[in-house]
Amino acid sequence: MIPYHRWLTSRLFRSYLAVFPFIWMLGKAANAFTAAQAGLPPFGFHVLTEAVVCVLELVVLATYLRRDNQDILLANLGLSLPAALAPLATLHFVLSGVGALLV
Amino acid sequence: MTNPIYAADSIDVRLGGRPILRAAYVDAVPGTVTALVGRVGAGKSTLFSVLVGRRRPDGGVVRWKEERWHRARLWRLARCGVCFAPDRPWLAPRLTGADHLRMIDPGNGWLSLAEELGITDWLETRVGALSGGELRLTEVAVALARRPGAIVLDEPFRGLAPLYRDRVGRALRAAAARGVAVLYADHDARLVQETADRLFSIEQGMTRPVSDFRDRPLHEWYHGWPQ
Repeated sequence: MIPYHRWLTSRLFRSYLAVFPFIWMLGKAANAFTAAQAGLPPFGFHVLTEAVVCVLELVVLATYLRRDNQDILLANLGLSLPAALAPLATLHFVLSGVGALLV
Repeated sequence: MTNPIYAADSIDVRLGGRPILRAAYVDAVPGTVTALVGRVGAGKSTLFSVLVGRRRPDGGVVRWKEERWHRARLWRLARCGVCFAPDRPWLAPRLTGADHLRMIDPGNGWLSLAEELGITDWLETRVGALSGGELRLTEVAVALARRPGAIVLDEPFRGLAPLYRDRVGRALRAAAARGVAVLYADHDARLVQETADRLFSIEQGMTRPVSDFRDRPLHEWYHGWPQ
């Protein structure tokens, strides 16, 4: 397996970092819509809801990667998809937290 | 010849009750090129997908040295020293070949490998912009850059121009000369005769080793697989 710090600084991981905010925005829009429908603040921060949305976003990204067979590339590097994408969960919570503070 | 380092043993796969693989066996030996040949639909890709942990078999085991798995996982196998190149593109199309190789070895130890494979001209080109032959050679370079103990390739010559077929074949031979256990599936008789040291054939989901495949005339291959 390639060392994990090398994975986090690789151009491949950075390309996922570049794509993920767009998926996050889709997830945030859907989350805000359902919250508004339920009469809740659309940009509130609820850990459980954020965790569910985060998992859905990672599933969307994983599906996109599988379509390009990049799950095979990652596996050949010794990385399972969950291990490779897990750091993006941090990005989700940071973006959602900052969004809740700003709005 | 040394013992197999990597094997799929007694593999059964059924789809909708129909047997696809029946006690199928294939293995890879360090320092040799092993080919698996069979007609389209014979079960080559299914057997490879079990071997590299992309499919759960209904029976049988995958062995790597002393370890045995009923359901292997490619990322686990990769940590042991296996690399898999499927029959479709698997590199990140927006990255260059050099990006992939640097991810594996930031010290540029792969440069000699790249020169040996003759891929230096397009190493800084995005993978998505490469021709089929350039891409396949780059994939082989990425697979070999990890210094695997075994490399499994599904139809590595498919759709390639003759020039690139020969270069991929030479790359596989060179990898075997360095001690890598090379295993590939294909149905090009000439390339198999030129490239492989060992041969398994598969028909109707059953495999068997073929010992004298180099001495047989090519036309036999097209009118029936070796008995």
